[in-house]
Amino acid sequence: MSAATVRAVPEMPSGSLIRKIAWHWRHDDKRELWIGWWTLVIFYNLYGLLFFLIARTQPPPPPSLAPSEIVQWFDDRHYGLLYGYAFVSIVGGATAIMNATLAYTMRRMSVSRAFAYSYLVIYALATLPGMLIMGVACTVGAMRPDRDPELMSWLYDFAFLSFEGTMGVFLIGSLVWMVAVLLDENRVFPKWFGYLNLCNALTEVVVAPAWIFKRGVFAWDGAIAWWINMAVFVTYTTVFLTLLRKMIVREDFGSGPLPELESDHALEPAGALGAAR
Amino acid sequence: MTTVASAEPRAGGPDERAGAQERARGVRFVPGQPDMWVFVLFEALVFTSYFTVYVIRRTQSPDLFLQSQAHLDLRVGVFNTLVLLVSSWAVARCVQAAREGSFSAALNNAYLTMLFGFVFLVSKVLEWATEIEQGFGFTTDEFFSFYYFLTAIHFLHLLIGFVVLGVAVYEIRSPARRSQELVETCATYWHTIDFFWVLIFALLYVMR
Amino acid sequence: MRRADGELILLWTLPVLGLIWLSAFLLFPGFVQPMSPAMSAEEVAAFYRDPENLARIRYSMILFNWFAVGLIPILALIVLQIRRMAHRTPIFSYAIIACAAGGPTIFLMANLFWLLAAFRPERDPQQTLMFNDLAWVTFSSQVGFLIAQSVILALAIYLDRHERPVFRPWVAHFNLVVAVLLIPAAFVGLAMEGPIAWDGLLSFWVRNIAIGLWIVVMGLVLAQAITRQRAEDEAMAT
Repeated sequence: MSAATVRAVPEMPSGSLIRKIAWHWRHDDKRELWIGWWTLVIFYNLYGLLFFLIARTQPPPPPSLAPSEIVQWFDDRHYGLLYGYAFVSIVGGATAIMNATLAYTMRRMSVSRAFAYSYLVIYALATLPGMLIMGVACTVGAMRPDRDPELMSWLYDFAFLSFEGTMGVFLIGSLVWMVAVLLDENRVFPKWFGYLNLCNALTEVVVAPAWIFKRGVFAWDGAIAWWINMAVFVTYTTVFLTLLRKMIVREDFGSGPLPELESDHALEPAGALGAAR
Repeated sequence: MTTVASAEPRAGGPDERAGAQERARGVRFVPGQPDMWVFVLFEALVFTSYFTVYVIRRTQSPDLFLQSQAHLDLRVGVFNTLVLLVSSWAVARCVQAAREGSFSAALNNAYLTMLFGFVFLVSKVLEWATEIEQGFGFTTDEFFSFYYFLTAIHFLHLLIGFVVLGVAVYEIRSPARRSQELVETCATYWHTIDFFWVLIFALLYVMR
Repeated sequence: MRRADGELILLWTLPVLGLIWLSAFLLFPGFVQPMSPAMSAEEVAAFYRDPENLARIRYSMILFNWFAVGLIPILALIVLQIRRMAHRTPIFSYAIIACAAGGPTIFLMANLFWLLAAFRPERDPQQTLMFNDLAWVTFSSQVGFLIAQSVILALAIYLDRHERPVFRPWVAHFNLVVAVLLIPAAFVGLAMEGPIAWDGLLSFWVRNIAIGLWIVVMGLVLAQAITRQRAEDEAMAT
């Protein structure tokens, strides 16, 4: 074990959640990582709440609506859009901590830091076309219900195509993470997660027809471009949140391979594990 | 010293350690990395969902699909399928040769796999070009949207397959590497791509 | 030996930037007396078509466009200071890098919409209205990265377990206050008049004064930290 852990740390108190959190704040070496992880979990939940239940822009409406129907759509969601995207705007910066945490996983790997920096910058700028522009377009659309319907139609397209059609950032970003995981010798993530990044990257290719079709399975609300893609994305997100949690528990702040968890003992012969500990 | 070093697999690589441990215990769950099988299963799920959507849409407009399908050239489809099947055979021989330690044979088979894969790519592009010239593009009708989508996604997986084969070649070429597990992993990916093509061929070309 | 050449130059760009931004702010005819969202399409079109306004709109926005990202070197200097703090991971400095990539870009986008509105003022008033709306909403409501910047900086300072922390705790408290002051501006879509509207007390004056204060205070605090750091470097070298 490293010398750094010799410092005396008081016992974690039993009892209320507040006291436990306070203990972690003061004494847990991994508090930065846990702040990052909890930010990810809370943000994704908020995201689901805000987009699916409050703004109700997801699942997306059809691109084939006529301008008068689009005006009606904005009208139906007037307060949902305005309040929903106000909150998205307030919490949207949490993505900075989220992406920083994921970039850190790459820093912990045995690969070059270029991977961490690439991922960080790619995903940081992805929030603009990929999330915030939709907020602006929907707010501008909702705030003047008497706007020219043709312009409302343009704002509608602007919102949904930016949101779903911003592909390259997530494509390249996922590939960066994939390569990092596959080359990594520190066992930060299992190799199959590297491959799962490829699946996520491919969803960005699959969504491309949304820029062409206004109806059918390839439109931005279609069975293939949205529903199946969303299933892959949700799986991917759930998986990396789980793996990240495991990684944080295993973290030893060294630069070599991350130690395995006790429950994964079966993967290694006892001798090698004993020597590492 | 040097002879020992060349006989041993690359020290320190985690795959190699895991592979060595597995072999030491005499337990082999699957050929190649189990991780690749996770990927294969996941992709199979995703492709199955695409196929399901295709079949459902087809039953909703059977005449349109039947008519459009007639414009595909079945002979080219069969040719492409055979080419990929032969390439799978080549990669299987590559794995076999690597296992036996005949690495130059393994290398040749890997190159052969690439060659057949390349033949498929060229044939596919020519087929697309012909169809586009005849006026059947991505947006022509729903059948052709599916046709181009499925074949293009497969094409993309095949391109990735070349990268994967490249990794296998890289492993086989150097005595310091030559991880049998990694070669098998690459072969698994290639077989899967072949398998998906057979399904796509059946759905798009054959099923009426 | 830490390579610190040029940091003072970057630091001194801040007051220059501040002057330029202030000039552009005063030059744009729609800020000092902020444009009201309640203006009709014809009124907005007239605003952009007015020959007294048009030149000022264009030149002030061109100025803003040139210098929109001027704050990024300062954010980079802040990142370097965070790296000096006693943290276990570089997560906070990474997060500020992410904010640096996001925040100024949003400002640049708003700037583009204003310039677009002013490019063909003879356009259909409804279109000019839309570009004007897009500009104002982007400018006022997209406070996400600014809030994040302040919250992350505060967190980083609170968790800096140094005997002599890089930034003192009051800087953290100040940042949290700024973050809170930015929140109302997110709700500009909800009101055409009053404090929440984009020309209102909370969404315009409080928001922009908070940002201005942040720039001034952080600039001074940063200057202090860098000076101290250079003194320490020199002491170590001798």
